[in-house]
Amino acid sequence: MEKELQRIRESAFHALEQATDVSALNELRVKVLGKKGDLTAVLRSMGAVSASVRPRIGQLVNELRVEFEKELEAKHETIKESALNQRLAAEKIDVTLPGRTRELGRRHPLTMALDRIKEVFLRMGFDIEEGPEVESDYYNFEALNLPKDHPARDMQDSFYISDQFLLRTHTSPVQVRTMQSQIPNSPIRMIAPGKVYRRDYDATHSPMFQQVEGLVVGPDIRFSDLKGTLEIFCRGIFGDGVKVRFRPSYFPFTEPSAEVDISCVICKGTGCRVCKGTGWLEILGSGMVHPRVLEMSQYDPSVVSGFAFGMGVERIAMLVFGIDDMRLFYENDVRFLRRF
Amino acid sequence: MRAPVRWLNDYVTFEDSPEIMGDRLTMAGIPVEGIDRPCTGLKNIVTGLIRSVDPHPNAERLSVCVLYLGARIVRIVTAATNVRPGQVVPVALAGAVLADGKVIQPTDFRGVLSEGMLCSAEEILGDTKVISPEKRDGIYILPPDTPLGKDICPVMGLDDVTLEFELTANRADCFSVLGIAREIGVLTNSKAKRPLLTLQEKGQGKATEMATIEIREPELCSRFCARILTNVRIGESPLWMQHRLQAAGMRPISNVVDVTNFVMLEMGQPMHAYDHTLLAKHNIIVRRAVAGEKLTTLDGTKRELTPEMLVIADAVQPVGLAGVMGGLATEISASTRTVLLEAAAFYGPNIRRTSRGLGLRSEASGRFERGVDVAAIPLAIDRAAQLLEEMGACDVVPGIIDVYPRVILPAQFDFTAAWINRYLGSDIPASTMVEILEKLEFTVKVAGETITVTAPTWRQDVTGPVDIAEEVSRIYGYDNITSTNPVGPIHAGGASTERGFLDKARDLMSGLGFYETLSFSFSHPDFFDHLRLPADSPLRNAIPILNPITDEYPILRTTLVAGLADTVARNLARKNEDLKLYEVGTTHHAKKLPLTAHPEELYRLCGAMVGRRDGTEWCHSREAVDFYDAKGVVESLLYGLGIAKWQVCEAVAPWLHPGKQADFKVGDVTIATVGALHPSVQEAFGITKPVYMFKVNLSELSLLDTSASQKYAPLPKYPAISRDLAIVLPDNIPAAEVMAEVRTTGGVLLEESRLFDVYTGDRVEKGTRSLAISLVFRSPDRTLTDDEADGPFRALIGHLEARFGAKLRS
Repeated sequence: MEKELQRIRESAFHALEQATDVSALNELRVKVLGKKGDLTAVLRSMGAVSASVRPRIGQLVNELRVEFEKELEAKHETIKESALNQRLAAEKIDVTLPGRTRELGRRHPLTMALDRIKEVFLRMGFDIEEGPEVESDYYNFEALNLPKDHPARDMQDSFYISDQFLLRTHTSPVQVRTMQSQIPNSPIRMIAPGKVYRRDYDATHSPMFQQVEGLVVGPDIRFSDLKGTLEIFCRGIFGDGVKVRFRPSYFPFTEPSAEVDISCVICKGTGCRVCKGTGWLEILGSGMVHPRVLEMSQYDPSVVSGFAFGMGVERIAMLVFGIDDMRLFYENDVRFLRRF
Repeated sequence: MRAPVRWLNDYVTFEDSPEIMGDRLTMAGIPVEGIDRPCTGLKNIVTGLIRSVDPHPNAERLSVCVLYLGARIVRIVTAATNVRPGQVVPVALAGAVLADGKVIQPTDFRGVLSEGMLCSAEEILGDTKVISPEKRDGIYILPPDTPLGKDICPVMGLDDVTLEFELTANRADCFSVLGIAREIGVLTNSKAKRPLLTLQEKGQGKATEMATIEIREPELCSRFCARILTNVRIGESPLWMQHRLQAAGMRPISNVVDVTNFVMLEMGQPMHAYDHTLLAKHNIIVRRAVAGEKLTTLDGTKRELTPEMLVIADAVQPVGLAGVMGGLATEISASTRTVLLEAAAFYGPNIRRTSRGLGLRSEASGRFERGVDVAAIPLAIDRAAQLLEEMGACDVVPGIIDVYPRVILPAQFDFTAAWINRYLGSDIPASTMVEILEKLEFTVKVAGETITVTAPTWRQDVTGPVDIAEEVSRIYGYDNITSTNPVGPIHAGGASTERGFLDKARDLMSGLGFYETLSFSFSHPDFFDHLRLPADSPLRNAIPILNPITDEYPILRTTLVAGLADTVARNLARKNEDLKLYEVGTTHHAKKLPLTAHPEELYRLCGAMVGRRDGTEWCHSREAVDFYDAKGVVESLLYGLGIAKWQVCEAVAPWLHPGKQADFKVGDVTIATVGALHPSVQEAFGITKPVYMFKVNLSELSLLDTSASQKYAPLPKYPAISRDLAIVLPDNIPAAEVMAEVRTTGGVLLEESRLFDVYTGDRVEKGTRSLAISLVFRSPDRTLTDDEADGPFRALIGHLEARFGAKLRS
């Protein structure tokens, strides 16, 4: 009997070793452990052995069953894993092929530049205001201390619609509109982005371009505040390393007036073609709001003061992105638009 | 404005280089735009006397000249025909460099070695606008007494340095050498000198008896001074004066004219010289022109005058347009013997209107527009008389005729240093302010805290304390004022809903794969024809621009479609084949033309799609975009903008394919239109591939309530039951109608219905199509049984059969 068990053991473990797939294992399980299997046959033939050895045979059969089941299970795991590994190996793909991208669109570079400008001022608590592009002579000129036949009107060659209406030449009329929409003398911090129009067309002038106007009015607004605010702005756009200088200038609607220059972002101030060798780039016009402008908008210059500024978005976008021809902005070549 | 340094040095000296002085002036508000050194680059050009001119032995058109350079002789071949023995000319020797950078080397011309080249004015100056026309062609002939063998630069006055200013409109006083000298004096603490006047009046008679002056428009002419010059000998002005005029950018003409220009450049006072003999009755009348009156101006143009214009007239007729241009009839000529010299002040806005109206801008009109120093007019006229007298060009008749009906006194006002410091945010001592103002030649009186100033007569731009704040700060230095930040109540910045809407739309369009474009607001009426707009289309009611930049852009756009179609065409022409483009911008709509009120400005979004739907990588589909791509973009955009519900119906836009276009509506308001561009429109724009376009009316959309989409609805607690339905029905029934019927008749338990398949083809009858719809039934308060879903499901089928003749697909 024991010999028979020894034979079963050897043949079973040999077959287990030989098995390579799950079906062979299942067959083996039936052959050895099944109802008609080898071990059951041994137990069935127990009647023929003496009662004294029966318990021992029974114990040996059990031991063999437990041992074989364990090995069978282990072999099953091994075979499953190798089958999985084989499948995974077969499923390998070329991960270096390009992915199925969805092309993202982009904002126009001028919109992006404008977004950056707005961002800096919104963080400083400025509101964003708007005004019409077809503007009246009153708002575009008169209310900004530019009466008819004033020589400074030459600075802004206008597109006329009629005697009374023109395409606004700057966003400054929004200053007036904003003040007039407020209770007189109430404080203002606003920027007004928008399209403006002047009769000029070449590589550095576009008949339509975009400006951002700014106005801060309050009981104690000083020229030094203008400097501080615009320095924050310039650093916000061009980086902390940029140098800012304020140069006396003239605008009929401000007094004193200042042009704001930054150290050339191309040559870092040593002089190059972009800054015409000066090391400086003019990017903003600014000044303390002229008392007559305040008065015309029912603000009392003895109670409040303010500063205003204006900048060209194209100019800033050209410097930020390194673009040398303004006309590219309005050609809308998609190869250009994809560059940003 | 150009100021030669030597001329400036007559009145103020400075040690700084022109560059450094330029920077200092710029930082004081007198912007220097450039520094001109005309002899930079010129090399090895000397003066030479032509000894002989002989024909070239082998070339008909060339001459061989022998020149004496003072110490040596050179032989030069020239093609010029204006050379004669005895002339002194500029000679470019071996290694010479001309104005345009050209280098001259000895050259063999058909067997004759030329040791250099004779030069024209242009070859030395680069341009010839300051050279009289008859000297522009051919070799430039120098005065016969020019020293020989000398460098051309000093000989032609090119060795000076000139500061070029881009002056601001308020600083009328700086439009003169003297004005700039004054500013330099302030910056260098060395007060500028004034012209020294030692006028000798040697002429016969008395000026006041030789002419009369009458100002009939004192509002337009506040002062008129005249002097009479007799024994006038018209000729060239001295070389030094010619060189200064040229350096300042003006062309020498004759001694009398040159002196009037010289004094204008030096003192900022424009002048005019009349031939006294030709003035009828020797009368000068300053009056408005009579309607229909005519005047031939110095440029030979006969001009019709209007009563808006101020003229200088004699007893009979106008002899000049005041402040703008003189008349031809009384012009100085070689035969002029007696001159009436005018120096006057005219009202700027009137001069500006006249000169712009006639398109006549001049150095004189520019200065009158900004305003001249009325108090200095007699000085200027005396300076001119003295210069002419000193150069022996005339005798000055004793006396000055000075009519001064309207004395304009300079502004006088008070301020305190504390006020200035508060305005500037600075801490400048009162004494420093006084010092700065006195240097600027303000009269300053201090009484306790109060400072009273009187502006100099040439500073009409200074009218109040804020101007003092500017004067003090620009000289003190803007950079010396410490920056601060504004104080005030804290406030969160923000934008209008509409602006927020535009930005959100841009974000969504980026996510949907679209590139933003920007086009001009200008357009052309031809585009309306391109878009097939009917004659009565309101979009044709565009606002015309009176003075467009080019013929291409005479109107303001009423639609973004044309601009974007043009952009698509331009891109396709450049082989950019796959395009998803959009623009957000305003269109302009007049309520009435001509404009009597502000036109309506509406924000629109316009999009265009051409070419492939996806990318061009190996894994992307090759399919081209179609109507449903464009419609899907609009739908995604509307969802993204928070629009919860809309209806889609067939549309009739003339610029779109009649069978492939739809309107999106909320109530009666059209919020968007989408479709295939009409083939004729494509052709008109030169587009050869199908284009799908859409426009979204953002201004109208921003008024809709979008708050609903931002509210949370709890997730369902009970499971749903799904049913799919496939029906066959005539293919001319719009899907939207079927889906609307499903929604309205599906019962209260119908939560969702979705069209998931559309089939036309062999497996259904011709003229019909199959629509497959998935339905979701759910109750908010219990789990539904199959029977509860089947009831409304069957009822729905019944409705669809009855309404559309739909059959369940077998």
